[in-house]
Amino acid sequence: MSQNADNAVEVIDLSKNYGPVAALKEVSFSIESGKYFVLLGPSGGGKTTLLRLIGGFIKPSAGTVLLHGRDVTDLAPNERPTSMVFQSYALFPHMSVAKNVGYGLKLRRMRKAELDERVEEMLAMVGLEGYGARMPHELSGGQQQRVQLARSLVLQSDVLLLDEPLAALDAKLRKDMCLELKRIQEKVGITFIHVTHNQEEAMTVADRIAIVAGGELVEQGAPRDVYERPVRRFTADFIGENNLFDGRVTKTGGNAATVDLDFATVQALNGNGLAAGQAVALSIRSELLGLLTPADAENGGLQTIPAEYLEEVYLGLTTSHLVRLPNGQEIMVRTLSNGEAAATFEPGQTVTVGWKTEAARLHPD
Amino acid sequence: MTAETSPAIEPPAGRGRDIAAKPRWRRFLTGEDGIQKVVFYIPLVFMTLFFALPVALTLVWSVFERTRFWMEPGFTLFAYETFFTSARAENFLHAMMHSAGAVVISFVLGFPIAVFVRRRVPEIAQHRVILLFILPFMISELIRIFALRPVLSRHGLLNSFLMDIGVISEPISAILFTPLGVVIGEVLSFLPFMVFSGFLAMEAVQKYVFEVCDDLGAGTVSTFKDIIVPLAAPGIFAGSVFIFVNGLGVGLIPNILGGPGATNAGSIVFESIVALDFPLAMAVSAIMIVTLMALLYIGHRLFDLTRILEPIS
Repeated sequence: MSQNADNAVEVIDLSKNYGPVAALKEVSFSIESGKYFVLLGPSGGGKTTLLRLIGGFIKPSAGTVLLHGRDVTDLAPNERPTSMVFQSYALFPHMSVAKNVGYGLKLRRMRKAELDERVEEMLAMVGLEGYGARMPHELSGGQQQRVQLARSLVLQSDVLLLDEPLAALDAKLRKDMCLELKRIQEKVGITFIHVTHNQEEAMTVADRIAIVAGGELVEQGAPRDVYERPVRRFTADFIGENNLFDGRVTKTGGNAATVDLDFATVQALNGNGLAAGQAVALSIRSELLGLLTPADAENGGLQTIPAEYLEEVYLGLTTSHLVRLPNGQEIMVRTLSNGEAAATFEPGQTVTVGWKTEAARLHPD
Repeated sequence: MTAETSPAIEPPAGRGRDIAAKPRWRRFLTGEDGIQKVVFYIPLVFMTLFFALPVALTLVWSVFERTRFWMEPGFTLFAYETFFTSARAENFLHAMMHSAGAVVISFVLGFPIAVFVRRRVPEIAQHRVILLFILPFMISELIRIFALRPVLSRHGLLNSFLMDIGVISEPISAILFTPLGVVIGEVLSFLPFMVFSGFLAMEAVQKYVFEVCDDLGAGTVSTFKDIIVPLAAPGIFAGSVFIFVNGLGVGLIPNILGGPGATNAGSIVFESIVALDFPLAMAVSAIMIVTLMALLYIGHRLFDLTRILEPIS
């Protein structure tokens, strides 16, 4: 073991080109051992390519993959300490559940008694005790994915790769399986790398989330950081329901910065390293915005902009209010739909949108 | 337009009127009332007319009495006795063995082609590549088989090629007009069937299966033996039956490539008809049908042949 052994996965300047198309552009990152790591991003952003490069299913155009400090860039999938859970219900349709789970062990010439024991143990782990004799087509989608999980886990690899494992499941089942995946990961304690385009799924399972888009690793961090303190404009746009404004820094002082949005001038607090005259994007999550009464607006302490009320969209837990800014941009203000309806607004009415200064984030890129 | 004046909203009695309004042939084809369900019996009618009835007639005629130019109703097993006590039974068995040999060789040569096309050829090109194997059928079977003579003969292409590259010093004369020639002819004629049905079966095998095999560390042999063959078994079996049936039944091949005395079931039937022994011809046909039905039944029990149509549905 080398000095990097604490990192289960280390990817250095990894690139993958398909002809003239760059699917992945010099991506570097590392994953601490025993973490649940999620690669989140829009379709076609390169996250599955990244996962398949780590698993060895495709060869990189350039760069290195280290697993526990060992260079595995040129090794085949089965020569790496990784196992893969595929998106489709990728079970062998002609083998029973137990045979599916045990096939990898059988290839390793494990004795039958020990093999059966390990298979039974693993089926219990994924909550499918007693299902060994069933055939895949007799199982529901969720159960099939559990079998896949057992088939990968039984090999006791150091890193488990999950390629959109819940994409084919319906919303309710997906939620349950998320919690189940998290529970299993904590139990076995190995590193999970999970690819998904579903934000909620990512937030549920992840210790760390990496946003992958356009063949690049945009940003990574704990779910809370990525959601509440996105650094890059793309992250703010992709995660949560953010409103983005383009503006120009007019004044800086310490952390604070004053930003001119053309129709209003507002303050923000993460202005480190910004200079006056620089173009920035300002993001505020819709739930941190409020529609203010004139009295609130007077109270001060809030950043405010004028707007025209357009319409209300009731979504159950929350209600979204669509308003139009003086520059024509439409933004979303989200409030909890609690019983006692706050002020109601008429379409066309002039309203004031306000937020606490610390709610806004500046993105210089 | 209001509900009262709308012709679309009518009391339930409207159904009867509706039916009367349509021409009878249209009601028949769209299957709207009881009688029209007949349309669903068309396959049954077809199978009765062109399969069950001929098979039944074959069986019945095989026990008729032979007359000079035709046969007359009766019950005798004379034709079967003739078959089993003559060299014909032995020839039939040999033909079955040669046919089985052709099946095995076709599997060894043809199935890997199907697997290769499915695994390595880009998806959009797969069907076109498979279609190429239809091209030989554009040429008459008689010509195709006859063309093998100058290839396989003592001074043919094969021998001169082998001598040119120094593999042999004397031409091999044991290829043409021997059972070997027949098997070669059968393989070359029927190989595409193994490729077609093998490919069809491989289409049902999802691509992910191969990735899973790579991930679990199944080598080429394990993947082939444990995964590909079991999953493609219905297709392999269907192709095998097709080749076996044709190898047994197409009398042309032993006639042209097998030399004097070479026969198979097809040529035995043909010779019996030429000799005006119709009951014998029927008996040989009946034996062939029973053999093949038994094979199909066993295969269906083992592999569930309906699975081969799964990728289509």
